[in-house]
Amino acid sequence: MLAQLLLVLWTLAKVLAITLPLVIAVAMFVYWERKVIGWMHVRMGPNQVGPLGLLQAFADVVKLLIKEIVVPTNANRFLFFLAPMLALVPALAAWAVIPFSDGLVLSNINAGVLYLLAMTSMGVYGIILAGWASNSRYALLGAMRSAAQMVSYELAMGLALVCVLVLAGSLNLSRIVEAQGGGLLHWFWLPLLPMAVIYFVSGTAETNRAPFDVAEGESEIVAGFHVEYSGSAFALFFLAEYANMILVAFLASILFFGGWLSPFPSTWGPIGQGSFFWLLTKAFLLAFLFLWFRASFPRYRYDQIMRLGWKVFIPIALVWVLVAGLLKYFHIVTPGA
Amino acid sequence: MCAVLAAEVAGAVLAQYWPILLFMAVAAGLGMALLTIGLVVAPRRPAAQKLSPYECGFEAFEDARMKFDVRYYLIAILFIIFDLEIAFLFPWAVVFDRIGLVALIEMVLFIALLVVGFIYIWKKGALEWE
Amino acid sequence: MTIQLLAFYFFAFFAVLGALLVITLRNPVHAVLSLVLTFFSVACIWMLMQAEFLALVLIVVYVGAVMVLFLFVVMMLDIKVAAAREGFIRHLPVGIGVALIMLAEMVTLIGLRAMQVAPPPNPAAMHGESNVAWIGTALYTQYLLPFEVAAMILTVGIVAAVALTLRHRVGVRHQNASQQVAAVARDRVRLVSMPAERGDPGAQP
Repeated sequence: MLAQLLLVLWTLAKVLAITLPLVIAVAMFVYWERKVIGWMHVRMGPNQVGPLGLLQAFADVVKLLIKEIVVPTNANRFLFFLAPMLALVPALAAWAVIPFSDGLVLSNINAGVLYLLAMTSMGVYGIILAGWASNSRYALLGAMRSAAQMVSYELAMGLALVCVLVLAGSLNLSRIVEAQGGGLLHWFWLPLLPMAVIYFVSGTAETNRAPFDVAEGESEIVAGFHVEYSGSAFALFFLAEYANMILVAFLASILFFGGWLSPFPSTWGPIGQGSFFWLLTKAFLLAFLFLWFRASFPRYRYDQIMRLGWKVFIPIALVWVLVAGLLKYFHIVTPGA
Repeated sequence: MCAVLAAEVAGAVLAQYWPILLFMAVAAGLGMALLTIGLVVAPRRPAAQKLSPYECGFEAFEDARMKFDVRYYLIAILFIIFDLEIAFLFPWAVVFDRIGLVALIEMVLFIALLVVGFIYIWKKGALEWE
Repeated sequence: MTIQLLAFYFFAFFAVLGALLVITLRNPVHAVLSLVLTFFSVACIWMLMQAEFLALVLIVVYVGAVMVLFLFVVMMLDIKVAAAREGFIRHLPVGIGVALIMLAEMVTLIGLRAMQVAPPPNPAAMHGESNVAWIGTALYTQYLLPFEVAAMILTVGIVAAVALTLRHRVGVRHQNASQQVAAVARDRVRLVSMPAERGDPGAQP
């Protein structure tokens, strides 16, 4: 009994060891986003709170927490508070299966990729319910757009995942990374280049980030599904969105860029060895792309978004599933080479 | 002997899922804690104007829940169908290596059927967003 | 094992609770959410039986796709709450009857004896394989034909969905991307080479 209790406590410690750094990473990423976009706009970005403005994000958190949560008159109170929870829980729970380094994973399940797909598909509830519960036109419009967009891009994302699975032959994320062993050219980005692009762009659309952020399109429907949210209820949505972004960056590194593996040959000493450092570097570079996109691209129109998802990504992904099958069948790509 | 092994492996399978349950509980706890902080610490001064739903200057005169274009339902239905196809592709991808050519051929058939459906919706203009 | 049993009762409780709420709640959106709770709990129960793949697919397909459609429909059709409530007592006997018949069918199908013997060991685990790989092997070797039939059914589903719901509005303008991409400057602008006009220098003051 004591042993079991200890096990639970130990697991709890591990869960917290993922969650707390993640929350801090979200805060720092928000700061980084504002800095980067500031620089790209030839501005300073936040520079007042703390050295270099580093404490800005924490000041924002405190501000959000002590602001009033305004619940609109006609809103459905229960769903209004349930919606941010439903957005946050899958966004955080998806992190349970991420392998941070060789063997360093909270739950090394065999169906890891499927689990991730399940968690992403549950994220849509928070958004639809937020829109509906607020009982506001803008919120509802934003929620419907967002939901239809998310499900559309989930298909392209799913097909891109299938391509990775064909080459790796496993749903286990650690095994997928191991299947990419052997150096830079053995990572899956090379045989699956279009899929890597589709995956990342779909991830951008899935998290409702610019240039696919019609869900919140400030100029047309103010802030989309969370227009009526304020204070800490809004903070939950915010946390969920950024946790999802960082998750997409991590997943793209794991699925296509060799996860914790080093790009250099193993004879090069310490930098040739795989470690968490490499995963973090790759994920950071990919996450940076989100910010770059946001600073560079104008927003897509809604019909253009749907066209890109259904008429461009899905056909390409379908074809590439077969290409991946052929690559595997003729042993052009062999796992763990 | 075999049964013992099976039980062990089964235990191992489940053992990987308990942390996930715990993770969800922690995530829910975190969300709940943040909401509670917000509700307890933050001020609460309701006012009729503040509580009215966001509108561009005029009064919100009716229930905002409106009927939507049938297109949204169509997207949802198509999503279900394609999602199912992807669910079929997952185990295929995993065992593709050991079944080999047969698996490739049957998946070509499967995807060909899917593509027929896809071409149909494309030609019908169901993917045109108006 | 006791923890597993406790977990089973925990999830079973929520599955049944969700199912009851689906038919008793007044608000259709709440009812759909209760159904989501039921599906999620059932997925957890399947997980307890080590059916990894099925449990996760239940979440991906039912929770992630089918229930989203339900939610779309229920949210937007503005069903009158009171009207939906009216037939509840009247239809209750019929509902209970159908439920009993279904229960009887399930019991005959599975057999009462199955409840008294220990569940057979997990075949996937016995071969030291993952559940997904085992299902895949079975599906793509033994059950080839049903698999392709499933593809047919899905295709029919696509056609049916489009045929039933697609309505074209008139007077809507589309963006034709291929036309846009195919556009070349030559077709749009005609460059004419002509000598520069020389006005009469004496005419202007």
